[in-house]
Amino acid sequence: MLKTVNLQKKYTTDEVETTALVNVNLQVRQGEFVAIMGPSGCGKSTLLNIIGLLDNPTSGEFYFLDKEISKFSERQRANLRKEHLGFVFQSFNLIDELTVYENVELPLIYLKVGNAERKQRVEQVLEQMQIAHRRNHFPQQLSGGQQQRVAIARAVVSKPKLLLADEPTGNLDSAHGQEVMQLLSSLNEQGTTIVMVTHSPTDADYAHRIVNLFDGQIISENVKELAIL
Amino acid sequence: MFKNYFLVAVRTLRRNLGYTMLNVIGLALGITCSLLLYLVIRHELSYDTFHSKADRIYRINVDKLTANGPETNAGTPFPMLATIKASLPELSPATHLYNTEGGTFTVLSNNDKVPAKKFREEKNVLFVEPAFFDLFDFPTGSVNARQALKDVNTVLLTQSIADRYFPGENPVGKVLRMDNVVNLKVTGVIPDAPENTDLPYLMLIDYESSKKINTFMNDSWNSTNSNQQVYFAMSPGSSLKQAEDRLNQITSKYRRISPGEKERYIFQPLLQMHFDDEYGTLSSRTISKTTLWALGLIGMFLVLVASINFVNLATAQALRRSKEVGMRKVLGASKPQLMTQFLCETGLITLVALLLSVVFAELLLPFLNQLLELQISFSILHDPQMLLFLLAVLVAVTFFAGFYPALVISGFQPISALKSKVATARVAGLSLRRTLVVVQFTICQVLIICTIIVHNQMEYFRSASLGFDKEAIVNIPVPAGKAGDLMALRPQLESHSAVKATSFAIAPPSANIDMNSSFQYDDFSVDRNFSVNLKLADENYLKTFSIPLLAGRMYEKSDTMQEFVVNETFLQKVGVKDPQEAIGKKLLVNGGQNEGKIVGVVKDYHLSSLRNEIPPVVMSTMTQVYFYLNAKIEQKNAKAALAHLQNVWLTAYPDDVFHYEFFDDSIARFYEEEQRQAHLFKVFSFIAIVIGCLGLYGLVSFMVAQRTKEVGVRKVLGASSASIVGLFSADFVKLVLIAFVIAGPISYYFMDKWLQDFSYRINIGYWVFLAAGALTLLIALTTVSVQALRAAFSNPVRALKTE
Ligand SMILES: Nc1ncnc2c1ncn2[C@@H]1O[C@H](COP(=O)(O)OP(=O)(O)O)[C@@H](O)[C@H]1O
Ligand SMILES: [Mg+2]
Repeated sequence: MLKTVNLQKKYTTDEVETTALVNVNLQVRQGEFVAIMGPSGCGKSTLLNIIGLLDNPTSGEFYFLDKEISKFSERQRANLRKEHLGFVFQSFNLIDELTVYENVELPLIYLKVGNAERKQRVEQVLEQMQIAHRRNHFPQQLSGGQQQRVAIARAVVSKPKLLLADEPTGNLDSAHGQEVMQLLSSLNEQGTTIVMVTHSPTDADYAHRIVNLFDGQIISENVKELAIL
Repeated sequence: MFKNYFLVAVRTLRRNLGYTMLNVIGLALGITCSLLLYLVIRHELSYDTFHSKADRIYRINVDKLTANGPETNAGTPFPMLATIKASLPELSPATHLYNTEGGTFTVLSNNDKVPAKKFREEKNVLFVEPAFFDLFDFPTGSVNARQALKDVNTVLLTQSIADRYFPGENPVGKVLRMDNVVNLKVTGVIPDAPENTDLPYLMLIDYESSKKINTFMNDSWNSTNSNQQVYFAMSPGSSLKQAEDRLNQITSKYRRISPGEKERYIFQPLLQMHFDDEYGTLSSRTISKTTLWALGLIGMFLVLVASINFVNLATAQALRRSKEVGMRKVLGASKPQLMTQFLCETGLITLVALLLSVVFAELLLPFLNQLLELQISFSILHDPQMLLFLLAVLVAVTFFAGFYPALVISGFQPISALKSKVATARVAGLSLRRTLVVVQFTICQVLIICTIIVHNQMEYFRSASLGFDKEAIVNIPVPAGKAGDLMALRPQLESHSAVKATSFAIAPPSANIDMNSSFQYDDFSVDRNFSVNLKLADENYLKTFSIPLLAGRMYEKSDTMQEFVVNETFLQKVGVKDPQEAIGKKLLVNGGQNEGKIVGVVKDYHLSSLRNEIPPVVMSTMTQVYFYLNAKIEQKNAKAALAHLQNVWLTAYPDDVFHYEFFDDSIARFYEEEQRQAHLFKVFSFIAIVIGCLGLYGLVSFMVAQRTKEVGVRKVLGASSASIVGLFSADFVKLVLIAFVIAGPISYYFMDKWLQDFSYRINIGYWVFLAAGALTLLIALTTVSVQALRAAFSNPVRALKTE
């Protein structure tokens, strides 16, 4: 599904250079559930953003669906994002001016999905996330767990091949966190590839494989499934 | 997609109600002004465009070069029309007309017991030939106007005159007596003259009848009157220049002009008349193209100032939208899509402002009409031109105001936007915003400076010493040629204690009545190549108007020209230094018809508006041409004095209508156009300042909100409220100063040009600029301080908690 070769990312601000990623080589196969762990500031989000085509690497290669895309233009990346990727963030990032329904509908609008099909798909995913009864509420009227379920609904309504989640439980209490993890897990079972950044070992337990990052470098990978089997 | 944009737009705007209101009201004010100015400009440009031959109709004017300077006139001698018809067939149709300055109309009753009704009209009584209707396309309703004015002593009334003179009756066939001289048969009632014509009329009388009213002109080539005008249409394909040359060849054979003088008849396009105050129009309204441009520019500036608010507020607000933009980008929205979204939002605000401004304009139009003495109306739905204008405004404002913010917002990097990490300075386009604020301040200051200067010049008109007394003096017209009847009653006129002095004269000192004459001075040997202004008045004139004598005495009472009094300019022109020297010298005027001695020299006084210089004046007596009784009265007993004067007047002229005007009012009328312009300037610069303040207020409140935490920290660290206000003000003071440096020269340039029109004008003092600068500074600082003080007095602990 995706592969990085010697991926590097440097930030330059006010003449201070920060190297966020150093020679990262990572491969994710179709159907995998990968967790990225590591201390704060080690480059997890940076990596996820590059994988999510929200950012370009400074050097190195990045293959997504067998295409080398590290030199793609903003417009090309926007198109790939729109069609193949779904995002879930720690801070939900729902649009406050839109209702639950309208938030979930948004990706389909950008995909120019027809009216009837759009309605059907939104309803279906709202049901699946057990949030349908709140469809006309605005984000501020929902609890954190509910908001994150809406965010997940929005991320998967376009049936993305790859779902990226940056500390999806970071702003939630543990009960709501477990709920969200179960949702992600079942999405993965239905075939969605997931890459998730997390601090929580409990959350990481849901993944097939854990990638440990330290100071911008991958220091270890442990494939849990093999251990269990 | 658009539904989604629309929902978000409406909800965002509602959530930031304050911001939305500032934007909408500011924009609406700007658009209202531009809408009103558009209406005014469109009206002014529409004068006489409704005639089918409009673009090939001309008026014959004359340009003269005399030793007193150039003179221009729209009047032509009587034989002009016959000459054109005989020698210039390509000038066809051609017609002449005569416009009276006023008249008395008596509705004769067929019943002896009912007294006749009398009406007085001050202007717009027009004498025309049937050919008038071949040339012009005035609305005549169902009346065959050509036929109706075929016979002598006929009149066509406009509807409003018919309603006034013959309420509830059919006037056709009735008789109207004019100036107690001529009986006119009403042959029809036509619609009122359109508002947008420079040939306005209350009634149209057959041309032949004018000869009984206009008795001061004769059939010679040398008798002209600016109210006797010739109009013609140029046949397509013939050369205007050639025709003009040919006409001048012919006229030069007949016209007698003084040696050293030159004159040329020129053809003025009908469609240019309205914009050329050189020759004037019968509507006595003209507006220069420059003024129209200025108004158009002001309209655009007001929209610009309002749009700048928009850009400033929207870019400042952009941060608040960063999360939404970031998320939309994550979901795959392209930059053009986001730009479309934000442009739609601007479009929505503009649309609301536009609708609001249509309502405002509708409400304000009556006041504007009153101010400009116009009758403009508009009904949007039946006015495709207007709809087009509004659409143009909508598109222009949306793009101008929306493009930059949309560009900035849609250019956010998605991750930074989500983290609200977009650099404040860059987002807010700080340098651009500064530039725009400078532009706003510059426009405001230019408008303030222009307003002050225009206002001062108006004040100068009002208060400048004209060389005579204009307070508490009434000018009462007397029937032409009949001044003697009332002069005989002078003891009675002056018997009332509130009547201080009376004088009969051709006109008050400053008036639009001129009588020019060639002259010879002293030994008659030197041929002087300038003419003099003959001011004919009785022996009480100087006393009534408090005009001082420099030497000699006022002339003695007489009915004909016997003795002369001249003014200072006259002496300068003939080269006499000492006024005493002129006393006793012989003078010959009126083509040698009148000879007499100079008995006095009078101090210079103004003969017309301050636009013109004082000409050489020769004063003498001639009862025959006295058109006015001028009476100095006691201000506090004005009512009694006027009643008394009216009584005596009516004893002398029982068949006429008494009317009067206060002298200072008639002088103020010289400056009507300027007054109107001054009012317009005042109103619109005020609005520009209001809009500018709205924007400033919004911008500062945003800045304050952004820096709440900083202010909190500073306060905790012991900063005083004053220093906090200073923190926010310093920036704006700088901007005002930059604007001031730009605004000064621009406004000086334009106002200096404007003042050149007046021979007597104020000096532009540097204090005007300082005052304007100080005023803008004050306004800006007040606006800033109100917001900054709120921040300064807020509880620092609360401020720090809000993150
Ligand atoms: N936009 C940015 N500009 C400059 N430095 C950045 C930026 N984003 C992240 N960094 C730096 O890169 C490093 C990795 O950041 P990040 O990927 O957010 O870490 P994590 O998500 O693991 O906490 C940190 O040192 C951070 O300060
Ligand atoms: Mg992170």
